[in-house]
Amino acid sequence: MSATPDQANPVRAFVAQLWGSVFRHGLPTNDKVAARTALTNFFLHIHPVRVKKSAVRVSYTLCLGGLSFFLFILLTITGLFLMFYYIPSVDTAYQNVSDLQFVAVFGDIIRNMHRWAAHAMVITVWLHMARVFYQGAYKPPREFNWVIGTFLLLITLLLSFSGYLLPWDQLAIWAITVGTNMAKYAPIVGPYTRYLLLGGDQVAQGALIRFYVLHVIALPLVGFLLMVVHFWRVRKDGFTGGL
Amino acid sequence: MALNPYETPRGKMRARAEATRRQFLMIMGGLAAAGASLFGGIEVLKFMFPQASGNAPALFKTSFTFAALTGGVVSGKAVTPVNVLSETDKRVTVVLDDAGIYAVYLVCTHLGCTPNYVTDVTTGSGVAPTVAEARGVRTASQRLPNGWACPCHGSRYFIDSTNFYGPAPRPMDWVNIEVTPDGFFAVDRGTLVATRGPGDNTPPPWRLLVSTQKSNGKTYGV
Repeated sequence: MSATPDQANPVRAFVAQLWGSVFRHGLPTNDKVAARTALTNFFLHIHPVRVKKSAVRVSYTLCLGGLSFFLFILLTITGLFLMFYYIPSVDTAYQNVSDLQFVAVFGDIIRNMHRWAAHAMVITVWLHMARVFYQGAYKPPREFNWVIGTFLLLITLLLSFSGYLLPWDQLAIWAITVGTNMAKYAPIVGPYTRYLLLGGDQVAQGALIRFYVLHVIALPLVGFLLMVVHFWRVRKDGFTGGL
Repeated sequence: MALNPYETPRGKMRARAEATRRQFLMIMGGLAAAGASLFGGIEVLKFMFPQASGNAPALFKTSFTFAALTGGVVSGKAVTPVNVLSETDKRVTVVLDDAGIYAVYLVCTHLGCTPNYVTDVTTGSGVAPTVAEARGVRTASQRLPNGWACPCHGSRYFIDSTNFYGPAPRPMDWVNIEVTPDGFFAVDRGTLVATRGPGDNTPPPWRLLVSTQKSNGKTYGV
């Protein structure tokens, strides 16, 4: 369906050119066009051009990595909405979260989507890791991607932990008190780690802003970069195929 | 290796000289990058440790007075024999018993939550109430099974901060208190007057004496 410029109608010619500049190929009619369509589209090129039939069985991967990524996208979008209302200040944070639930239209749904997607992402990432492990998909040539995956697990858990503090209710404050005191038990670096996380000795304003910055910028950015490499390696190494 | 531009090597020697210069610049550039990263990294780390913290001051004045705790002093003895007044948000409790006054820093020794004041601390712990009474606010006439229960993981403490149940590894610390000229307590959370290790059930001897309003100076474990 590659557009041919229609000299007679300049409007149609313009639309055709515009469409053709974005979508370089029409819908695939044979394998060759399908391969080119995948290769020339930024979003499709992440997916392998050729996949073994056995590897696309849903029962093989259970789509756990894809689900984790889907939840990450969902969390990014819902998190963006939450940021319109949330101010990381000890005086306002709890009230902002209440406003989100009771004042903002659909705010309650957005907040709960963020919350449940966060819980679900931790679960799917664990299950994804377990799936990869039990199928031996971490073995060469995929050992580098396994290591990136472990860092992505760490990022996921840190995102979960840092988001825990932000509602600034009693559960949040004491959970972070407990969590950072656990960090303090590490030899030598423990007390410094705790101070670094809290920006002080108590869970107070310094801790809230640090956790906020980690939660909304630092950790998602690092996670995104690692994900780019993770998917690129999946693309290059291919799927493991049937057992 | 001759690098003098007036003595330019030729042939094989020239190639070696060029390669050496390139390697030299690579090494110097690499060292510069490594050095900049190292010191930049150190400065970034220092940036995250502020010169002045936003911590609440260690020293504060209680909202209740010496008179409110003791009910007045008659011939060197408190009118109220037993009393416990707390500044829970500042995490300090002031206890009056027959020996005098002391202040416990209410930071659970397990993972740092603030324990709650309970009037019957042994409930459900398997410890006989008589044990708590024996270790409660110690007066001849009144022995209460009150104490502290941590809401986070269920650690329990007798009123003198001795742990007896749950994951807490050791008793909570005691901090220094003084009576201010206007009759309140000045609590210094930065100065410990009694600190006990795991398994140390000794009641610390430190007290602020009711009669003189001065400490007896008997610090324990610090």
